[in-house]
Amino acid sequence: MSGEKIRLNTEWLCDCGGCHVALVDLHEKILNVLDSVTIQHCPVLTDIKDYPEADIGILTGSIRTEHDRHAAGEMRKKCKTIIAFGTCAVYGGLHGAGLAHSREEIVDRVYRHNPTTRTDTVPDSEVTELAKLVTPVDEVIDVDLYLPGCPPHAHFIFESLATLIEQRAPRVTQDTVCARCNRQMVKSEVNAIKKSLDGVPDDNICFLSQGYICLGSVTLDRCLAPCPNHGVACTGCAGPTMQILTEPNRDIRTEVSDRMSRLTAIDGETIKTHMERTAKTQYAYAMATKMIGNKPTFLIKKWIADVEAGAHG
Amino acid sequence: MGKVLNIQPVTRIEGHARIAVHLDDAGNVENAYMSLMSLRGFEKFIEGRPAEEVPRIVNRICGICPWMHHTAGNKAVDGCFGVTPTETGQKLRELLQVMAHINDKILHFFFLAAPDFVLGPDADYSVRNVIGVVKAAPELATQVVKMRQLGQMMIDRFAGKAIHPVAAVVGGFSKPLPEAERQAMLRDTRTLLDFSLYALDFAKNNVFSKYLGAINQLGVITTGFLGTVDPADGSLRLFDGRQRLMKADGSYVDFDGADYLDYLGEHVEPWGYGKMPYARSWNEGFSLDLDAPKGIYRANTLARINVCDKISTPHAQAALEEFRAAFGRPAQATLLYHYARLIELIYACERTMELLNWDGITDTDVRAKVEPKAGRGVGIVEAPRGTLIHDYHTDADGCIASANLIVGTTHNIGPMNMSVKQAATSLIKDGHYDQGILNKVEMAVRAYDP
Ligand code: SF4
Ligand code: SF4
Ligand code: SF4
Repeated sequence: MSGEKIRLNTEWLCDCGGCHVALVDLHEKILNVLDSVTIQHCPVLTDIKDYPEADIGILTGSIRTEHDRHAAGEMRKKCKTIIAFGTCAVYGGLHGAGLAHSREEIVDRVYRHNPTTRTDTVPDSEVTELAKLVTPVDEVIDVDLYLPGCPPHAHFIFESLATLIEQRAPRVTQDTVCARCNRQMVKSEVNAIKKSLDGVPDDNICFLSQGYICLGSVTLDRCLAPCPNHGVACTGCAGPTMQILTEPNRDIRTEVSDRMSRLTAIDGETIKTHMERTAKTQYAYAMATKMIGNKPTFLIKKWIADVEAGAHG
Repeated sequence: MGKVLNIQPVTRIEGHARIAVHLDDAGNVENAYMSLMSLRGFEKFIEGRPAEEVPRIVNRICGICPWMHHTAGNKAVDGCFGVTPTETGQKLRELLQVMAHINDKILHFFFLAAPDFVLGPDADYSVRNVIGVVKAAPELATQVVKMRQLGQMMIDRFAGKAIHPVAAVVGGFSKPLPEAERQAMLRDTRTLLDFSLYALDFAKNNVFSKYLGAINQLGVITTGFLGTVDPADGSLRLFDGRQRLMKADGSYVDFDGADYLDYLGEHVEPWGYGKMPYARSWNEGFSLDLDAPKGIYRANTLARINVCDKISTPHAQAALEEFRAAFGRPAQATLLYHYARLIELIYACERTMELLNWDGITDTDVRAKVEPKAGRGVGIVEAPRGTLIHDYHTDADGCIASANLIVGTTHNIGPMNMSVKQAATSLIKDGHYDQGILNKVEMAVRAYDP
């Protein structure tokens, strides 16, 4: 019987563990999955420490150390289909902020210039060295399928596993978060950008119309829009849409400022400048992918320097 | 030169760790380490970001306990901006944080730790996992999966996102709790409370009594403890209160979270990315020496159960009394972390009920008015893995100027190293070891649930 089962390996690279919890949280569906899948290497659940041959390999997290690179390589060798699972694996994720901060700056902040740390030691033995930059998985191995989301919603996880188990085409759409959001885009007379802590937003109207930045329209829906449907704007944790990634002159800030200026009385340039000033937040999850990092329109280092110059000037 | 046994990765824990046991020529343990394998550096990433956005960013430090970072981050930003959240807003934060404790404890005990006890530590490694438990005890497993689902769905329904939440905001909470939702939560929490009482009974009869020998030996070390208590009566608190730092002899000091720098320091060794906090206020320095540790205290469930004078809810208090009668205060045996975890599971369910039964919980005044400004805020909650400290400074624009984070797990990195060394030294003799023995060394780490 078990010969018929699909063999699954999972591995976590540099990540928060949330994607693996999301897998466990298929809840009763995990019991269904177990009927047709044999879970082999899966550090959070099993004690199988090597990498057996497998049909499916799920990789979460991004490449931070030599160890991560090695583990990704082993998974590629042993698994027929590799899924880059979660925003970290697909785009580098939040800790892909390497474009904004060098490894040296980070190490210095954590181990040297830190109010509680009383030693002056930087770990360097028994640990594998940190890579210069954090990178998405597909910069070190070939990836067959991508499932972004931080973490992806169970609906999409189950769909993609079912697709592979039943060997059929996936029924996933390329919709944006807006498609699942219950708010209405309406034209308003709002004339200034609000911070998320200004006032209490109306629950039925699009955040953009109310003057709050929301990244729903530039973000791929792999979450069913929980944030705008629970009172909080989208910050794009599932990563940008294909359109943003592939079209050279379209970008998170150009798209959002266009749309928002049409919905409000705020000038597009003002919105764009605001988003550049807060670029670390607006581009938080996908900075490490070359598709964003190499865009001619993406000048995060300059934007950060401008803000710092402003702060000192 | 002898050899090095590598256990990598340490499995069925919630982080990325490795154990290295160094043997001498005769095959006896010379040294043993448990080290964290990576560093991300959130302290740096959040610099310069608008502080009000940070509580949803720091979630990504840990996908197992995002609600802890989310609530501690919000408290720290409240502090920076000098805002007092509305009472309902604060209680809603606590409600979600305590609910997240329920789900975490179910996940840890049953999904990660139980295979060692249900199937036995020497069971073949290929079946010693939750899937093995599903086969060996299908009814229990189905029940556990259901309970985890009930708990996560309760959070999902109300707050939108259980993993990497967004619903707590600076000044309070993003939305009020509808009455119908409160009723549904009460119903589900009652079920979870029944399950938690059953879980403790199950563990007392099938785990703790059976493995008493192991409990008294495996990974046992002697340390101090850190936890959080109610300032008025010293009872267990998870969401707020004063920090209590206890020495191994049971004497303690209580301090205000904002003063943590006067009490705690962090030590770095070249062999791991994790920093090791220690009790600087004891003025004895830092040492992991098994016979004479210096500055070493532990956090997480056993620590909280040790430092509190009592528990404010009846079922958990009864369980605490029984525990103390059997193991004393402070109890030192490492495997008792599991026992303490189940007592806290009961408390978390009872506390959730208390909060839901509070009249003001459905009030619509959930969010105080907030103005960004320069300041400092220290936000502390008890995360499942220990006292979680977020310390932020903001600039005049309300952006993060600097941040210091002490994450729950890190308090136990020093002690885990000691437990690993203790376990390895007592189990591996004259070059003899096998897969079961190495798993027992891992069990010494698993108890801490890093
Ligand atoms: S994508 Fe998000 S949930 Fe998944 S591992 Fe990365 S940070 Fe965690
Ligand atoms: S921009 Fe945001 S609030 Fe507006 S419709 Fe899209 S997701 Fe909803
Ligand atoms: S931030 Fe946006 S992409 Fe992320 S979960 Fe919320 S709605 Fe989805």
